[in-house]
Amino acid sequence: MILELLLIIILVAPLFGLFIGWGRPWVRGMYSLLVALFPLVTLATLYGRTIAVQYAHLPFVGIDLSLRLTPLSWFFGIAVAAIGLFALVYSFSYMKDQKRLDLYYFLFLLVNAGILGVVLSGDLFTFYILWEIMSIATFLSISFRGGKALPAGLKYIVFSVVGSSAMLIAIVSLYVSFGMVDIVALATALSGATVGYAIFILVMFSLAFGIKNGLLPLHPWLPDAYTESPTPFTVVLGGMLTRLGVYGFLVVMYGMIGLPLVQRMSFGPVNYGIILAWIAGITILFGVFVAVFHDDAKRILAWSSIGHGGYMILGLALAGSLTLAGGIFHALNYAMSVSLLFLAVGAVEYRTGTCDLTQLGGLCTRMPVTFIASLIAVFGMIGVPLTSGFVSKWLLYKGLILDGHPFLAFIALVGTWGTVLYGYKVVHNVFLGQVPEQYKEVKEVSWTMRAPMIVLSSLIVLFGVLPGMPLKAVSAIQTHLGVTPLDTRLFGVPKALGELNTLNIFFAVLAAGLVGYGVFSLARRSKRVSQYDNYAAGARVPVGQYQHSVKFYDQADRLIRPYLRDRIDDFYAWIAGVSTGFFEQLRKIYTGNVNTYATWIVLFVAVLIFMGLLGWKP
Amino acid sequence: MTTLMQVVWIIALPIIALLISVLFLGLFRKVTARIQRRYGPPIYQPVIDLVKLFTQRSNISHGLIFDAGLIIAVAGSLATVLLIPAGGIHPLSSSGDLLLIIYLMLIPPMGIALSAGASGNPNASLGVSRKLILALGYEVPYLLVLLTVMTYGETTSLLSVVQMQAGSILSWGVFRFPLAALATFLVLPVMLGIRPFDIVGAPQEIASGPQVEFGGKYLALATVEHALHLFIVIALFVDLFLGGAANLGTFFLKMLAVFLIGVFIGAVYPRFRIDQALKYCWKWPTLFALSGLILVMIIGG
Amino acid sequence: MDRADIKKALKDPHKWGEKYSLWVTYFCTGCGIIEIPPVITSRWDAERFGVIPMATPRQANLFLITGYVSVKTLGYIVTTYDQMPDPKYAVAFGSCPIDGGLYYTSYNTINHLDRYIPIDGWIAGCMPRPEAIFIAVTKLWKMIDGEMVDGYKRYKENIEYYRKNQERVLGKEFIESIPGSVAVTA
Repeated sequence: MILELLLIIILVAPLFGLFIGWGRPWVRGMYSLLVALFPLVTLATLYGRTIAVQYAHLPFVGIDLSLRLTPLSWFFGIAVAAIGLFALVYSFSYMKDQKRLDLYYFLFLLVNAGILGVVLSGDLFTFYILWEIMSIATFLSISFRGGKALPAGLKYIVFSVVGSSAMLIAIVSLYVSFGMVDIVALATALSGATVGYAIFILVMFSLAFGIKNGLLPLHPWLPDAYTESPTPFTVVLGGMLTRLGVYGFLVVMYGMIGLPLVQRMSFGPVNYGIILAWIAGITILFGVFVAVFHDDAKRILAWSSIGHGGYMILGLALAGSLTLAGGIFHALNYAMSVSLLFLAVGAVEYRTGTCDLTQLGGLCTRMPVTFIASLIAVFGMIGVPLTSGFVSKWLLYKGLILDGHPFLAFIALVGTWGTVLYGYKVVHNVFLGQVPEQYKEVKEVSWTMRAPMIVLSSLIVLFGVLPGMPLKAVSAIQTHLGVTPLDTRLFGVPKALGELNTLNIFFAVLAAGLVGYGVFSLARRSKRVSQYDNYAAGARVPVGQYQHSVKFYDQADRLIRPYLRDRIDDFYAWIAGVSTGFFEQLRKIYTGNVNTYATWIVLFVAVLIFMGLLGWKP
Repeated sequence: MTTLMQVVWIIALPIIALLISVLFLGLFRKVTARIQRRYGPPIYQPVIDLVKLFTQRSNISHGLIFDAGLIIAVAGSLATVLLIPAGGIHPLSSSGDLLLIIYLMLIPPMGIALSAGASGNPNASLGVSRKLILALGYEVPYLLVLLTVMTYGETTSLLSVVQMQAGSILSWGVFRFPLAALATFLVLPVMLGIRPFDIVGAPQEIASGPQVEFGGKYLALATVEHALHLFIVIALFVDLFLGGAANLGTFFLKMLAVFLIGVFIGAVYPRFRIDQALKYCWKWPTLFALSGLILVMIIGG
Repeated sequence: MDRADIKKALKDPHKWGEKYSLWVTYFCTGCGIIEIPPVITSRWDAERFGVIPMATPRQANLFLITGYVSVKTLGYIVTTYDQMPDPKYAVAFGSCPIDGGLYYTSYNTINHLDRYIPIDGWIAGCMPRPEAIFIAVTKLWKMIDGEMVDGYKRYKENIEYYRKNQERVLGKEFIESIPGSVAVTA
C-alpha cells in the first residue's frame, strides 16, 4: 500500500504544482519542498524491508503490474530522493529570476518521480512506462533554456528513444516467449532459456542502459546535455539519471538473467562480462582524458561523468564480491561528488555569470564555502583517502587485482591520474590564482545554495572515515543479487579480505596534521601580503593581465590530443547528415499536386497487377 | 607487536625517516659537488638550512589556503611514512596496503599544488602543471610495475611482498621480476625529481616552480615534504625489489645504495623538457613494465 | 669558521643558521655579474660556505648588487629588496654602487646606492676578483656575530627617507604601485 501511495503522490503532485504556484512563488517553493521531502522520509522509514505489491491487472494482455522494494531499489531510491531534495533547495536561489518556473518545477519533480518509479517497479511494463516518463521530462528539462539547449535536448531524446525502443523489443520478446513481465518470475523462467536468446535479451537491454549511462560508443548526447541544461537539473542528471544505467544492468544482468546464465555466455575465455568490462575500461580512459583538455567547467564534468560511469560498469561486469561492491558503492560516491561539484560550479556561475575556466580565477577568498565544497568533491572523485571515493575505488582495484585482471586494474588506476589532472584544473582555474578585476566583488552564495553543499561535503567525508554505514546497504544488495556479500566493519574491511582501516588512517593523518601545525605555529607569525606583491622578476605584477589557466596542460595536450578526437561523435553526425539528406529526398514524394498522387496510385496498382499476373499471392 | 611498541614506533618512525632523508639531502649536495671536482658543503648543511628557515624573523603568506596546503602536504607525507615497512618496523601496515600507500602519496602533491595555486604567481601555476604532467608520465610505468608485483604475489599488502622476498638473495624482487625492477629503476629519477627530471622546481626556467613564493617556514615545510617524499620512494623501491630488510641498519644501507646511484645519474645530466620527459616515461619504461606484467601473467607467479 | 662548534650553535641557533646558510638572490645587475659564475661553480666553490644562488628573492638572505645601477635597474632592485624577507643583507660589489665608479657623470646611472636601499657592506674594485666575495662573506659572518649588520632594521625605521629618494628617481607611479605604500610627495 505504501509503495503505491508513494508513487501516486510523487507522480500526481507535480501536476498540482503547476497550478499552485500562480502568483505566489513561495507557496510553490514550499509545496515542491514537501513533495521532494516526502519520498526521502518515506524511504528512510522503509529501510531494511522488502515489499512486493501488485497494483494493477491488465486483462487484455493478461499481465500483473507490480511494485517492489528491494535493497537495490532502496539504495538507489534514497540516493535519488536525497540528491533531488538538495538540487531542489539549491534551485530556489539559483532559478530565482528566471521565467517559466512553474514548468521548471513541474519537470524537475516529474523527473525525480520517474526515477523513483523506475527503481521501485517490479515488472518490466511499469519499468518501461516510468522510464519513458523520465526520459521525456528530461528532454524538456535539458531544452529548458532554449537556444543552444534545443539541439542538445534533441540529441538526448534521439539516443534515449533508440535505447527505449531496444528495451521495448526485449520486453515484448520476453512477453511473447514467456507470457509474463514480472521481473522475479522472469528470473526463474529465464534460467531455462537458451544462451543465444539470453544474449539477445541482454544486448538489447545493454543498449538501453549503455546509452543512459554514457558508455562508449553511446555517449555523444552526454556532453551537450550536461552543458546546456540548467545547473540544478544537471545535478540530478549527472548524479542519478545516468546511474539508472547501472541500476538497469544490475536488475537485468543479475536480477533477471542471473549470474550462472551470464557466465555461460562465453566463447572460450571471452564472456559477456569481459567484453562489457573492456568497453567500460575504454570508456574510462577516453572520458577521463578528454575531460583534461576542455575549458568549460560543465563540459569537463560531463566527460568526467562518462569516464566514471565506466568505473561502475567495470565493477559490475566482473562478478567478484569486491568488484561488485566497489562498483555499486562508486555509483553512490560519484553521484555525491559530481553533484557537489556541479553545485559548486553552478554557484560560481550564478555569481559570475560564466563557466569558462579561462575567465575565472582566485575566488577562494571570495567564496570560501564553495571552494571547500569543490575541494572535497574533487578529492572524492580522485579517491583521496578519507573520502568515500577512496573506499569504493579501493574495493574495485583490490577485486580486479585479486581476480586476475591487472590490465583493467591498470586502466582504472590511470583513470585516477586523469581525474587528478582535470580535478586540479577546475579547482585551480576557478578558485586559485589571481582574481580578475571584474570578479573582485563577488560574494558567497545564499544559505539555500550553501546548505546542500555543506551537507554533501560532510557526507562524503563521513562515508570516507566510516564506510561501514553505506557498505552495509551494499552488502544487502549483494546478498539480494545472489553474489557473496562483503564482510565489513564500521570503519573498514577486516583482515580476511585485506587490510583497510579508515579510522586508523584518519587518526594518523589528523595527528600528523597537528604535528605539522604545531611546528608551523612555533615559528614566527607570517605577514599577509596581497596577490600583487608577487615575484615577477623584479617587475610589478600587471593588474588584470595574468591569466594562468589558459592552456594549462599544454605540453601534454600536444602529445595526447590527436588521439582524443571524438570520432564517434563525428560518425553519428555523419549518419545524421546522410539520413537527413536521404529523408529530404524521400520527402519529395509529397509534391502537393493531386496529379502526381494520382500517378503514384495508378503506378502502384499497376505493379500489384503485374505481380499478381506473375503468380505472387500475398 | 604489542600496542606499546606500536605507539613507540609510530612516534619514532617519522623522526627516523626525517633524519635519514635530511641526511640524504646533504649527501646529494656533497656527492654532486665531489663529482664536479669541488669540495661542496658539509653533509649536515640541510640542517643548517632548515634551522635558518624555521627561525627566520619574518615569513610571508598569501592567505589561509597558502598555509593550509603545506600543512596538508606534510601531514600526508608523515602518514604515508607510517605505512611503509622499514626494516622490520611496520606499525600501521595492518591498516592499509600498497593501494592505500599509492593513494596517500597523492596528498602531498595536492597540498603543495593548493599552496602554489593560492600564491597567485604564474610561475607557481606553471610549476604545478609540470608536476602533474610529470606525475602522469611516471605513474604509467610505475602502476604497471606495482600491478606486476601484486599479481605475482597475489596480494596487495606490502608486508606480504616483503615477506615473500625473505630467504636468500635470489628471492629478491630484482631477480624474480627483473623487467619490473628495470622499469622502476628507469623512472626512479623522474619520481625523485633528480636531474634530468628536476623539471618541476627548475630555478632557471620557472623560478622554483611551486616554491616561488615560499620563504622561511613555508620553504622549511616544503623541504621536509620533499625529503619525506625521497624517503618514501626509495623505501618503496627497497621493499619491492631489494627484499626489505630485517633491521633498520640494513634497510638504511640498501636505501643509501639506491640513492647514491640516483645521485650519480643526477650529477651529470642536464634537464629535459617536460614533453621529452613524458615521451621518455611512456617509451622504454612502459614497454619494460608491460612486458614484465605480461610475462608474470603468462608464467603465473 | 666555527660552523662545527655545537655549543655556540645551540646557544643561538638563529645566528648559526643565518651565517652558514646565506642564500644569494640570483640577480644579475651590471658588468660585475661576470664574476659570479666562477664563484658559484667548481672553480671557487661557494657552496662550501653555504652560499647558493636562489631564483626568487622570497628565499634569499643576501643581495649582491654587482656593478653599475642604471635608473631602470634601480626599480627592480628596490622591488627585489622589498620582497626579500627579514633578515636581509645587501652587499655592493664594485665601485659603481659606492660612488658612481666609472659612470659617475652618466645621466642614466645612480651614484650612491646607499641612499636608495641600505647597504651593509662594500667591496671596492672594478671588478673585484671572486676571492673578494669570500672575504666579504667571512666578514659578514663576523658582523652578524657582533650584531653590526642591521641594514634591514634601518630600512624599516627610515622608510620615508628611502622612499623619498626612490620617488625622486623612479617617479610617483612606481611608489604608488608598491603594494601597501603611499607616495611621499603629493
